[in-house]
Amino acid sequence: MIPLSWYLVVAFMLIGLGAYGMVTKRNLIRIIIGAEIMANGVNIALVAFSIYTSVFTFTGQALVIIVISVTAAHTALAMALMLMYNARYSTVDLGERVAAEGSKSE
Amino acid sequence: MLMQGLEVLLEQAEFFVIAIVVLGLAYLALEHREITYAVFFFGFMAAAVAGFYILLEAPFLVGIQIAVYTGGISALIIFGVLLLPRAQDSSLEIFQTPRRRRLGLLLSAAVMLLSAVLAFFYPWSELSPVSPPELPQNIQGLAAWLWDSHGIYVEMIALIMLTALVGSVAILKRMKAEELRPLTAESHQEPAGRKDTAGSGSASQPETAGEEKEVGSE
Amino acid sequence: MRLFIDFNYVFVWALLAIALVAIMLAASWILRPHILQNSEKTSTYECGEEPIGPARISYPYSYFLYTILFVIVDVMGAFLWLLSVSQSRVSEAAVWQMLFFVLLITAGIGFALRMFPQTILSGQETLKLYREGKARRESQKTEAAK
Repeated sequence: MIPLSWYLVVAFMLIGLGAYGMVTKRNLIRIIIGAEIMANGVNIALVAFSIYTSVFTFTGQALVIIVISVTAAHTALAMALMLMYNARYSTVDLGERVAAEGSKSE
Repeated sequence: MLMQGLEVLLEQAEFFVIAIVVLGLAYLALEHREITYAVFFFGFMAAAVAGFYILLEAPFLVGIQIAVYTGGISALIIFGVLLLPRAQDSSLEIFQTPRRRRLGLLLSAAVMLLSAVLAFFYPWSELSPVSPPELPQNIQGLAAWLWDSHGIYVEMIALIMLTALVGSVAILKRMKAEELRPLTAESHQEPAGRKDTAGSGSASQPETAGEEKEVGSE
Repeated sequence: MRLFIDFNYVFVWALLAIALVAIMLAASWILRPHILQNSEKTSTYECGEEPIGPARISYPYSYFLYTILFVIVDVMGAFLWLLSVSQSRVSEAAVWQMLFFVLLITAGIGFALRMFPQTILSGQETLKLYREGKARRESQKTEAAK
């Protein structure tokens, strides 16, 4: 069988990739995609844990259903906020905003 | 015995293939130059994660993952990319500040270090997997968990969906109110879109009662 | 591994779907005439003028609400499907719970569709914006001409 640590490695690599994307990228859409990748990693970890227990319950799978639904609502609101940001500043590039503010120039 | 060995080998090969596909698509979704390609890679990645759920014996999750993630969330992001013509310029990712990159790498290295400790040095890895019930009983058991034992979570999901709908309507109404603000003489570049950047050149003013009247006068 | 064997049919169906799309694209590539991509025949027609810049248009933001509505209905449909194939759909508690669930989400959908006309610019407001923009451009032109 496939040991649990393999599933956890893949799940946490996805979480790390999502975190890196959310911190590093300038495009707001990529930040939202990074959040989604992290959510997928979390789901994989949850379902993997639900298999490797002593007694099988459906807690892991049901929790993943709930997390997927909550992520859908979260992405909807995040995209709406991004559209509002674009309507206000006519860009989705965070670098342009930082340059315009001038406060945190790197 | 040979069939069992072959089955284990096949399962491991399948795990590696799906893992490489998922991680490769996730990397491409973040790093590809064109944003439209990136969101499509994200959609394919969400469908490939469903392959993991097949391995982990969760049949209903396969369906809901493909339906909600690839069919819903990925379409949401693609629609958002289509609404923003300026986001489709591929020059946004060329100039990345090195300090932010180092911070991002540090953060993900910390996350992966913690996860390596959790995955390998914790006594979880000694457990052997239990196999869930067969396909029909799996779905029956899942439905029984949700509606017979823990029915509150379904209502919580309904409330969260309601919140998302009300919130997005509020945000869209606010965007329309921003469009209707009187524009100052400061000129900005005229994009090809008709009326979506109308509110960006104005100075910040508090919302007057006139806009409220216009917004609510339908 | 068991589930993978059970899902074999889904995999074959997915391959058939991809093959269908690939065959349609290949057939159209075979049947269409091949012309040079940068010739004048493939450039955009702009009433005789030379087209400048990319042809990217945007749409009213409020149509985004329909995509959000689709995601909400998708999640609701997934829960309804799960209940409909289960054996607990006839228990009284499940019926009341699902009634509350469906009523809440349908109330949200009704609210969103009720408020949708208030999120788009009506005819009067578009006319007002157009006239303001035109007056602004006229005043800028007269100021630049001075």
